[in-house]
Amino acid sequence: MAKKLPLEGIRIADFTWVWAGPYCTLQLAHLGAEVIRIETRTRPCVTRMLPPWPDGKFSGPDCSGYFNQYNQGKKSITLNFKYPEAHEVARRLIKVSDVVINNFAAGVMERMGFGYSEVRKLKPDIVMVSLTGYGDTGPYRDYVAYGPAQVPLSGLSSLTGYKGWPPMHAGFSYADPNAGAHGAMAVLMALYHRARTGEGQYVEMSQWECAIDVLAEGTLEYAMNGREPERNGNRDPLMAPHGNFKCLDWPDKIADQVVDRWISIVCADDAEWGRLAHAIGRPELANDPRFKTLAARKANEDELEAIITSWTSTRDPASAVEHLQKAGVAAGVVADARYLSQDPNLTARGYFVYKQHPEVGVKQHCGIPWRMSATPCEVRSAAPTIGQHTDEVLMGTLGYSRAELEELKKKHALD
Amino acid sequence: MAGALSDLKIVELGELVSAPYASKLMADMGAEVIKIERPGIGDRSRKRGPFPGGQPHPEKSGLFLYLNTNKLGVTLDVATPEGFGLLERLVADADIFIHNLNPPEMERVGLTYERLARLNPRLIMTSITPWGLTGPYRDWRAEELTVWAAGGVCVLNGAGPEHPELPPLKTFGHQSGYQGGVHAAVATMGALMARLRDGEGQHVEVSEQETIASMLEMTFEYWPYMKMVATRLGAKPIQPVETMEAKDGYIYICCIEDHQWDRLVEVMGNPEWAKEEIFADRFKRAANWDALKVFLGEYVRQQTVLGLYKAAQAKRIPLAPVSTMGDLLNSEHLKARGFFVEITQPVAGTHKYPGAPLKYEKTPWQIRRPAPTLGQHNEEIFGARLGLDTARLGELRKKGII
Repeated sequence: MAKKLPLEGIRIADFTWVWAGPYCTLQLAHLGAEVIRIETRTRPCVTRMLPPWPDGKFSGPDCSGYFNQYNQGKKSITLNFKYPEAHEVARRLIKVSDVVINNFAAGVMERMGFGYSEVRKLKPDIVMVSLTGYGDTGPYRDYVAYGPAQVPLSGLSSLTGYKGWPPMHAGFSYADPNAGAHGAMAVLMALYHRARTGEGQYVEMSQWECAIDVLAEGTLEYAMNGREPERNGNRDPLMAPHGNFKCLDWPDKIADQVVDRWISIVCADDAEWGRLAHAIGRPELANDPRFKTLAARKANEDELEAIITSWTSTRDPASAVEHLQKAGVAAGVVADARYLSQDPNLTARGYFVYKQHPEVGVKQHCGIPWRMSATPCEVRSAAPTIGQHTDEVLMGTLGYSRAELEELKKKHALD
Repeated sequence: MAGALSDLKIVELGELVSAPYASKLMADMGAEVIKIERPGIGDRSRKRGPFPGGQPHPEKSGLFLYLNTNKLGVTLDVATPEGFGLLERLVADADIFIHNLNPPEMERVGLTYERLARLNPRLIMTSITPWGLTGPYRDWRAEELTVWAAGGVCVLNGAGPEHPELPPLKTFGHQSGYQGGVHAAVATMGALMARLRDGEGQHVEVSEQETIASMLEMTFEYWPYMKMVATRLGAKPIQPVETMEAKDGYIYICCIEDHQWDRLVEVMGNPEWAKEEIFADRFKRAANWDALKVFLGEYVRQQTVLGLYKAAQAKRIPLAPVSTMGDLLNSEHLKARGFFVEITQPVAGTHKYPGAPLKYEKTPWQIRRPAPTLGQHNEEIFGARLGLDTARLGELRKKGII
């Protein structure tokens, strides 16, 4: 008999949108929870409207690769909260759910009539998670939080950058998935507590605080010494070389652009430096006084990096990495999406997901970053089209009759 | 009041960030965590700092102290048969064993799930590795940067199209480690939920490379959907979404929607230049960013970070300061929420640490004890708990096993 998934039987009323919240409920879907997205056609999730779209052509709210990545394995119902009937549907869903989760700004769920005090009346042992940008309390609780701005707000930008340059971004809205992962953990811990005691609870989270939790080395420098850490590119105080090194460009262009390629190389100690020196055909450098010790390599790091670049710059990244790893050096391709899509390791491990989607067909999507021996997790389906499961959930789970359902649709309560 | 995980016993064999962060997240919710370190050397994070006064000291590393608060600490050389035997005794009555040995180290030590599960079939063993326990790279070396780059994130960050000579840029700190850790906590908690139902433990493995690849926003899908590749050299389709210099620091100007820009123009006092056709919508502002950054830059340079931030937020424009560490420690918002917490550790002294990532209504996030000094709880765990007598402890110490 096939093993059940870890969270089989757990139902999540998912009010989340954009990225942080959907990333959270994606982890729970990966673990087997029934995640029911509450959406509306009157204002589709932001990510449903954003690119990438198949061949660059927008064809409506079901074609976005962004949405389709972070909503795999979930269900979608549409409710138009202009109508009291839609509120009734949501109330009936909450009554049969284990978790309610949202990442709206503070106060939005209360105004919709789904604040915790209301929700717990519907389901006394509910776990309710609110994952806002700034948290439910504090003077900035009503501030607007957008993904890209949360990275500089968090403090990561002021720590990240080339030496002597202004602060840089992380290149993506990192605080969102970071908060989403912490949120999934918060849900699971609250479910564990409920399983032991029968007691549900409210969990309040701030995306900002979740992000500060992963840059503690930075805040501690200030807390201990009143000093701002200096931005220092890719370098590391205890390892050298430690950086990304240029290789040959992709042999073909993409959209008329040359695409460059890089590999990362790190030597954690003198022995690894010795292995690197041999691997790049410069064994005499292993014991060269300019490079022999960490202190020497740090003192001559520009020269060190130039020597390594002169080796990498004429090489294909994958074969250069293969060569260095065989010699016992920590190296890896600085993977772009094209490389990643065929990464031999990810491919061999069966990481990627190929599920049939009614609008976009079969597209390659990223999968689950863990494996379990007794209860193997899998992505059960492609992301839902908008409202794909309205009929199924209302009739199958919530006990609406076909006639009632049609009546609600006629009134536009299920738009 | 007890934490949500107060009935759990966890044994951690962790270095640097990933496994220590996973078990910290659970320790802060009440789980008992016994951390195992190498005798005499300890966790690598003890060397990384930051240190008070900038003076390296194995008991004063901020990173170590942060990641290992709330844990008990023992030293044990698990690569020796006697050491492994003690590890087996520790995990025999544990709920979770979490480690980040890589596959070659696991082989050297003889660590397999089957071996530990024989003693404790309810044990959940979580292995966090850079590349996974299977696949052609399983035995490859990796450090933080290696995985961040190989997971597909590093390629996205850098100086932009004007500076192709500058490399893809690492994000500060140990982000692969933290993400490996928090995703491992998620997967481990999932396995724990399965155990509540099925009664049996299992082996959970988390690949850091896969963890990073699972958080690439929309950038990965550009390839399968449109055969396009996002890199640090790409021009932004929408502006302004940029870090800009203000009078007293940097601020992030973020107008993704046209209506946000319209309101920012009001905040700026409706300057003439903003009426130019070349700045009429977000795409035109991106195409003409060269010009816009001059006008906008001149305005921003005359503002204070906090002043412009608050004025913009009052009109619901999602600007944000480029927070310095000082800004975070002194933030009126974070202070009001009680985010940073003071922890006293006898050797390192009292410092402020980042606090709870979540606030539970009923089961608190709590600091119960500071991070352990190296081998601090050897007597308590090996002596009082496992019943080794003083002579035996002395012998193990002499052999360098504890």
